[in-house]
Amino acid sequence: MKPYSNPYLAGLGLGITLLASYLILGAGLGASGGLARFGAYAECLIAPSHVLSGEYFGKWGENPLRYYLVFMFIGVFIGGLFSAISASRIHIKIEKGNKCPPKLRLIFALCGGILVGFASRLAGGCTSGQALSGGALLLTGSLVFLIFVFAGGYAVAYFLRRQWDD
Amino acid sequence: MFTALLTAMIGISAFKGLGIIDPATELFYMPTYYGAYIVGGLIFGAGFVMSGWCPGTAAVGAASGKLDALVFLCGAFLGSILFNELFPVIKPLYTAGQSSQDAFGQAGVAFVYTSLGMSEGAFALIFTLIAIGCFWGAEYLEKIKAKNPESGMYFQTPFLKAFSLVFLVFAGTLLFFSAPEAKTPTAGFELAKAPSSDESLLASVADAQDHVEPEELADALYNGDPNFIVIDVRPANEYKRFHIRGAKNVELPDLPAFMQKQDKAAKVVLYSNGMTHPAQARDALYRQGYRNVFILTDGLNGFINTCLKPVSLRKTPVSPQKADQINAWRNFFYASSAKTQIPADTPSLPGLVSTDWLFQNLKNPKVKIIDSRPQPEYNKSHIPGSLATSVENFRGVVGGLPSMLLPPALLSAKFSLMGIESDDIAVLVYAGDNVRDTTLIGLVFERLGHKTYGILDGGFEKWTGEKKPVNTELPPDTRSVYPVVRDKDDFTADYRQVLAHVQNKTALILDNRPKDYYTGKKSDEARAGHVPGAINRPFKDDLVQVGSYTTLKPTAELESAYAALIPSKDATIIVHCRTGHQASQTFFVLKYLLGYKNVFWYDGGWTEWAARQELPIEK
Repeated sequence: MKPYSNPYLAGLGLGITLLASYLILGAGLGASGGLARFGAYAECLIAPSHVLSGEYFGKWGENPLRYYLVFMFIGVFIGGLFSAISASRIHIKIEKGNKCPPKLRLIFALCGGILVGFASRLAGGCTSGQALSGGALLLTGSLVFLIFVFAGGYAVAYFLRRQWDD
Repeated sequence: MFTALLTAMIGISAFKGLGIIDPATELFYMPTYYGAYIVGGLIFGAGFVMSGWCPGTAAVGAASGKLDALVFLCGAFLGSILFNELFPVIKPLYTAGQSSQDAFGQAGVAFVYTSLGMSEGAFALIFTLIAIGCFWGAEYLEKIKAKNPESGMYFQTPFLKAFSLVFLVFAGTLLFFSAPEAKTPTAGFELAKAPSSDESLLASVADAQDHVEPEELADALYNGDPNFIVIDVRPANEYKRFHIRGAKNVELPDLPAFMQKQDKAAKVVLYSNGMTHPAQARDALYRQGYRNVFILTDGLNGFINTCLKPVSLRKTPVSPQKADQINAWRNFFYASSAKTQIPADTPSLPGLVSTDWLFQNLKNPKVKIIDSRPQPEYNKSHIPGSLATSVENFRGVVGGLPSMLLPPALLSAKFSLMGIESDDIAVLVYAGDNVRDTTLIGLVFERLGHKTYGILDGGFEKWTGEKKPVNTELPPDTRSVYPVVRDKDDFTADYRQVLAHVQNKTALILDNRPKDYYTGKKSDEARAGHVPGAINRPFKDDLVQVGSYTTLKPTAELESAYAALIPSKDATIIVHCRTGHQASQTFFVLKYLLGYKNVFWYDGGWTEWAARQELPIEK
């Protein structure tokens, strides 16, 4: 297992990727958008007419997966896989503190996921789509979002630290 | 994360400064909604800390086998669906607290330096300083607090020093370059031009110089004013359904290229159903220097309501002069202008249409493709834009006889439902050896006096064999008013006429059924045999299999085969089979491929002949 790369250089790389995305696509990066498209697709499989008549997913049409962020999400996954393989870091495990029972950790991950999925739709993006991509354009909204992500995070961190205690 | 933000921010500012990116047209900005972003940020932060992941990192985490990342992704997936389900309730929050700023014509797009009242360069420098301070602070804290020796390993290293310096230099350079731009806007011609263009744009909008009123446009088009170029910016299928007469279809992305080719003196009028898209397009073109672009007030909907709505349906009374004008406009704008739209290389119709010709004319709104294959086959894939129908839609029990071609009024009604217009070019598509399905639909057109129809040579299999496009999309749901045409049917013979010809030996009867039915060996009807004097020419004898598809034999081959049976091209010929289906193919071959002048079709066929006991038969 190799160590992770220098975080500053990795950040520089991500910044250049984002820059390239703006140059080529005119739009930034995003992860939650792709995820939500999968959600819309899955819901479309179960209740197509309900989804298409809905005001939010409905405007994505019958083929919600035909969207650049969906491909980006798949790309991120493949990139992660490639990086993990090349650094021999693939291990099926649960990332947690030593004292935390796995079940509790997974419940936290699920609840956190639901909150994140919900909030990123409300705020029009997640850390990558809203805070990073919008922040790079110096959009007020993106920086406000980023500040309140920290605020929300610190507010609950005290109650949740148990899962990370060693 | 901050490093990425800094890199991209500095890069974008630099590209904007160097003119590589046009900030007005080439970047996508999200409008700021304070309410939504604050609540969203708080919930996101809580979820982020609770799970330890965000969507991007979790995708990578899941890829390297972290189960909690996978569970997190499932959660985020469910959260998105939850948001969709709750959207009706949340909607007010979703758009709460929109920023009062706007930029590049988009309301709510707010830049933080504007919000804070400073220049972009100054903010970028301050932001960089804060970020570098955070890097050093975090490394320091990790170094003194953490037990882990790997934490804070970059504190005071040459790497971090150099890294910080590079960012500072970049941000400082940007400030240096962008400062004069902000303070002295008249410094260069290019810089001065942008704001004045926006100001004159807004002034032109304020003076209502950007509109053309529906009546003005209707009048100009009606009078054939050559100075108007009317552009329909809606998608092609909507354009195909209805458009203002004379309008060209150019979708928004293609507009700049289109404008380059236009006469600068002409008035270009953009319209859509409403006004939003044309107004945005008009403003964008104005910024590019086009001063001759206008939008149609109230769009197509307004045009129809103002100029074309029938007088009888209007709520307010209309003066007689105005009523006359409306009627004149209605006649003009609802009349079809098809004659100009028939391509020059159209084969002689009725006849065979090649797959290449159809491919060339796929986008022509006057070309209607009618697919006669079974509905499930059509559902699987079809030629783009084609209408599905079955030959049986046009047949029914008439006068007690089954499988008779329906009377003209019913056929017109069906064509109206399909959106077929009397000047359309219809291309009929069959599959396998079912050429007769298309020839029978061809007789529907014949009965309505509609001569511009053709049969796709080789049918669907030839089309797909040549890898020409297919899709599963439904055609636009278009209705038309197909006129009820009577007295155009000059080819259908009834049993009395056939009998008279048989008795007087004035016509050649061609029986197109398989041989066994002709000889009477097989029969599905009351009596077996054939009409006295009839010659057997099974319809299948005219077909040939070519590779993967079936089509009619080459004309030369058919020519010699029929020349052996029929003395002259002027001879009276009556074709029939059992129900009229198979004989329709022979009718098409004789009349349109071989040029026999007097061909008739006995629709009642053997079904009727056999049932009428008084009629003579032969075995």
